[in-house]
Order: sequence, then structure tokens, then C-alpha cells
Amino acid sequence: MEQIVVNGLYLGAQYALIALGLTLIFALMNVLNFAHGQMYVLGGYMTYLVYGKLGMPFALGLAVSALTLLAVGAVVEKFLFRPVLRKSARDESSMLLAAGLAFFFDSIILLLFGQKQHGVPKIIEGVQNWGDFTVVIPNDKIVVGVCTVLMIAAFIIFMQYTKPGRAMRALAQDRTAAQLMGVSADRYGMLGFALGAMLAGLAGGLLVATTGVSSGIGGSISIKAFLMVMIGGAGVVPGAIAGGFILGMMESFGLSYLRAYGDITYLVIFASLMVFLSIRPHGLMGKPWG
Amino acid sequence: MSELLSIKNVSLFYDHIHALRDVSLHLDKGETIALIGANGAGKSSILRAITGLQEIRAGTIYYNGERLDGRQPDAIVRAGISMAPEGRHVFPYMSVKDNLLMGAFTRKDKTEIAEDMHKVLEKFPRLRERFHQSASTLSGGEQQMMVIGRALMSRPKVLLLDEPSLGIAPKLVQSIARSIVAINRDDHVSVILVEQNSRMAMRISHRTYALITGEIVISGNSAELQNDDRIRKLYLGGDTA
Repeated sequence: MEQIVVNGLYLGAQYALIALGLTLIFALMNVLNFAHGQMYVLGGYMTYLVYGKLGMPFALGLAVSALTLLAVGAVVEKFLFRPVLRKSARDESSMLLAAGLAFFFDSIILLLFGQKQHGVPKIIEGVQNWGDFTVVIPNDKIVVGVCTVLMIAAFIIFMQYTKPGRAMRALAQDRTAAQLMGVSADRYGMLGFALGAMLAGLAGGLLVATTGVSSGIGGSISIKAFLMVMIGGAGVVPGAIAGGFILGMMESFGLSYLRAYGDITYLVIFASLMVFLSIRPHGLMGKPWG
Repeated sequence: MSELLSIKNVSLFYDHIHALRDVSLHLDKGETIALIGANGAGKSSILRAITGLQEIRAGTIYYNGERLDGRQPDAIVRAGISMAPEGRHVFPYMSVKDNLLMGAFTRKDKTEIAEDMHKVLEKFPRLRERFHQSASTLSGGEQQMMVIGRALMSRPKVLLLDEPSLGIAPKLVQSIARSIVAINRDDHVSVILVEQNSRMAMRISHRTYALITGEIVISGNSAELQNDDRIRKLYLGGDTA
């Protein structure tokens, strides 16, 4: 039981990091970034290249993942989403663009890295155990978990206490008013998109250390990210974190208790989410309007 | 008096709706002008054109001798024009304090910002009581005061007010009207006031422009226009405010 909770928390932290990026992009741009999972995979491959293939430090791999996705996010916003959002008031336009981008990234990733799953050497050997092996955690998972929590904390501090953070919160809460305060919607929209992509890339880079990376998982990561955001409420930071941990827990418990009935964990999760959303369509902490 | 802001032959469209037709007006330094007219007459569109929130189709906007149209809203705020938008547009999940600080987003000097914050709180003491509450918990009148205060936090030379009396208790309308006069007279901020409450708007402004379906039909000295038959017929007839 304790082991299941620990697994859930570990998974939840990873998921929360992914969901934060997605919800940031949605809050700022009103864009559903269907390519979020692919950005995550791209981040995973960057760390794989630097750390796994070139044998350089893991931290450097993470930094390369972060910077690459920061750049990808900025370029994608400036040259694709911004012009589309300017010319079309319809939500479908940006949704189709995001879906197209997801396919595009999938193809690029497949082309560059092939179908094979890529693993990396362990970042740190050994395991820890508590209570006479009731809870066992490998050291590398502890490092990854701590890094994840620190990144989430850093993101929250950045959003709460820095000027760009305030600007982005203002844009998310009332776009018109923020512009009237002198906040450049272009500049901070681009920053937000880049940061959101960077968070996906970091999460991908971190997860390479424990599970490796393969080219086909982007779509399912995107779907999971959307699940979390919908559970917590779209565009709300605490909602994304809550959604991440809830999904992590559900998955952890499901994989342990439902295994006997076959591979039905996600079937159960999807079914319960449908019921939940029919009762509370705006999620736990989302706004029921707009 | 010297011309601070001038709008010449401006036309503006929302998709295919012709919202402003060949509108020209000017604002002198130290002046308060009122734009009056029915809902949809184009009053707010003039403010949206000045602030860059809406692109104009034709015409020019000059401010301090510089071309303003075509610039982004944030550049226009930096130039010294600030707006309290209609419907108040507060940042609902930020405290009153953070809302006011957002108003000073374009400024850097922390001591000056603190001084201006102090001035705003003196002008609107109600905001001091609510200082740490989130903006969504404020009453309509308090939100309006906060939004005007927030607009002042950028130290503007021109203040644009869009329907500050809309949906606000009559008692508070008086107090907000007094604040607008004080902002113009004591703080030397030139004001463009958009109002459906024509009586109030003409009482506290120097000049008035009256709009009908996107065109300026009457303009002149506010004190004189208050007794103008056409204005009475158009705007003051059943108006009891």
C-alpha cells in the first residue's frame, strides 16, 4: 500500500510538470496544444543524445532539452500560432494547427530516432528501502522526483513573484486589461508558449533517466496531459498540479489493484472521468465560464 | 491651450459593421472632454482606436505630434495614455494591491510607484480597506474606483474613462464624478470621458461631442450644450440622473 502511494506521488509529480506547461499555454493563448506530448518526447531525445549517447553529464542533457524546447516553443508561437490566431477568430483553426504540429513532430522524431526504445545508463546506482522493504525506491527515482518537485516549485515562484510571471498571470486573467497596463500580448504570449514547451521538454528529459524514451509515446502523453488539465480545471495552475497527482495516484492504484482483471486501468480512469466531467465540466478548480 | 491628442477622419469597422464614420475630434492639454451618445453610437470604439485595441481602417491619430495609430497597445500606454475600460476588467484573482501594481507595469522606479500608490489610496480610501482582498470580492463601485486608480498608476498624461458610472449606485456615481474632476484639475491629467449618463458627463467636462451611429453630430462647450435643444431632445429627455 505505502509503495503504491509512493509510486503514485512519483508519477504524479512527473505528470504535474507536463500538465503545467499545457495549462500555461491554454491560459495565455487559448490554444489546446495537441503537440504537447511530442514536445515531451523531443525533450526526452535531447537528454538521451547528450547524456546517453555523448556521455556528457545528465544535468547538461536536461539543460539542452530545456533550451531546445524553449526555442521550439518560441518559434512555433511566433511563426505558426500567432499569425493563425490573428487571422482567425475560430478556435478550430489553432486546434487543427496544433494537431498538424503533433503529426509533424511525430514524423520528425521517427525519422531521426527510429522506432526503437532508447534507454540510458542509470544516473545513480542503488536503492533505498524503508520499514523492512515495505517501501523500496531506487536512487535514480529519488533524484528525478526531487528534481521534478524543485522545478514545479521554481515555476510557481517565477509566476508569483517575478515581473514576467505577473504579466503572464495578468494576460491569463484578462487579456484586454493586461494590454491596457502595457503588457505586450505578443512578447508574453511567446514567452508563455516557450515556457510551456520547456516544461514538457524538461519532464521528457527527466523521465528518460528512469524509463527511457521511444518515438511513439507522444500521443498518449498528450492525452494524459489533457486528462490532468480537465480534472484540475483548464488554465489554472493549482488545478494542473492537482490533476497531475490525481492521475498519478489513479494510475498507480489501478495498475496494482486492477491488474488481476486485465489491462483495464485506463478504461476505468476514462470512464470515471466522463462521469466526473458530466457532473463538473469545468474540473475541480476551473472557472465555469469563458 | 495646445492640442495634445487629435483624431482626424477616422473610420473603424468590426468585421462588416461600420462603427466609426469619418470621426474627427481633439483633446487639449488640461481639458476634459465628454463623448456622449446611445449604446452602440461608437463612443467606446473611439477609445479602442486610441489605445490600439482596435485597428482603424482610415484616418490618423496624433498624440503630442507623434503618429499613434498602428502602434501596439503597450506602446501607447508607455507613451502616456491610460484607460479604465468599460465593464471594469479587473484582474479577478489578484489582490487590490496587485491590481494597482499592474497599473505601474511600464514603470521601474519603486519609490515613485509607492508614492503614487499612496496617492491613489488617498483618493479612494475604500480601496485601502480592501487592499489585500482579491478584486473579485469587491462591489461594482469599488471595482470602478480600483480600475480608475489602476489607470492612474502609469502616471498618464491622458486618461480614458469608458462608462465609469455604468451599473453603479447613484451615491457612488457622485463620488466618482468628483474624483474625475480632481484628477483633471489637481493632477493635471487630460481626460476623455465616455458616458451614457450625459448630464453627469456634461457637468464635469469642458467640451462635449455627441455621437449617433458612428458619427459626431454635435460638438461644443459643455456648459452651453447642456441648454441646447437638440441635446435635450436627444439625450436628456427622459434622463433623470
